[in-house]
Amino acid sequence: MNDPLDNLLDARLRDETRYIDDAGFTGRVMKQLPRRRFSWSTQRAFIIFSATIVSVVIAYFASGEGMFVHDACARVSGLRPLQLLLLIFACGTGMTIAGLWAALTRTHDMTV
Amino acid sequence: MELTDADLLARVIVKGDQHAFGELVRRHQSPVRGLLRQLVRADVELADDLAQETFIRAYKNIRSFRGEAKFSTWLYRIAYNVFRENARKRKELVGIDESQLQAEVDPQTTDPGLRHDLMNALANLPLHERTAVTLCCQNGLSHDEAARVLDIPLGTVKTNVLRGREKLKKMLAAWATE
Repeated sequence: MNDPLDNLLDARLRDETRYIDDAGFTGRVMKQLPRRRFSWSTQRAFIIFSATIVSVVIAYFASGEGMFVHDACARVSGLRPLQLLLLIFACGTGMTIAGLWAALTRTHDMTV
Repeated sequence: MELTDADLLARVIVKGDQHAFGELVRRHQSPVRGLLRQLVRADVELADDLAQETFIRAYKNIRSFRGEAKFSTWLYRIAYNVFRENARKRKELVGIDESQLQAEVDPQTTDPGLRHDLMNALANLPLHERTAVTLCCQNGLSHDEAARVLDIPLGTVKTNVLRGREKLKKMLAAWATE
């Protein structure tokens, strides 16, 4: 590569590699890109949300317009303080475990 | 801090982020358009149409990019395929062939001067030599990368670069002695 002609040729070819100004090129490409479809995570959230709404509506009418909630509240109000405390503790523990499980699963998804 | 190509690609693939893809287009448009201008012999409009097609095809197939080569190398490969398909169509439609294309001389390159002589000589190299010289000597690809882009054996790339350079050097010899 010590041939002066080689050096001259390399230099000239490098000189010819000029930057081509964008001049709206990127904008034209962006306009022609296919429309973005919803990602799988968005679709999944939509499906779960819709299924929840439908389930609630069905449960509401199937249970005599939610009378079971009224009955359950009445039953809870009749509990002794210790029983109520245990119930709240059990619910809190259950929700904490569910939250931790969801958080750990999510972290795993992001690191893969 | 500026995001790397890999960061932008991850955003495009995972989130479908079109703005990230726009940044990739902005970064790589110049070398891709430059390569296509060399391949189509300074027909700027056609080269830009092919470059647009290259980036649109890249976006549609972005999930098939596995990161084994550089993103730019992958783009060059798509650009070269787009050019070949277009050349095949033009040949079918107009009935032109490579030898006829060789004879075409861009009026802009008829001006005297080393630059124009060099570009004229480069434009008149056979397609396989012109492409190899452009990729390796102008766009800075290694012989191995160029072989992947062109999907030909490494030895063929080296031969094409060598032959192309020899022809250009002959043209340059007159200038070097002045």
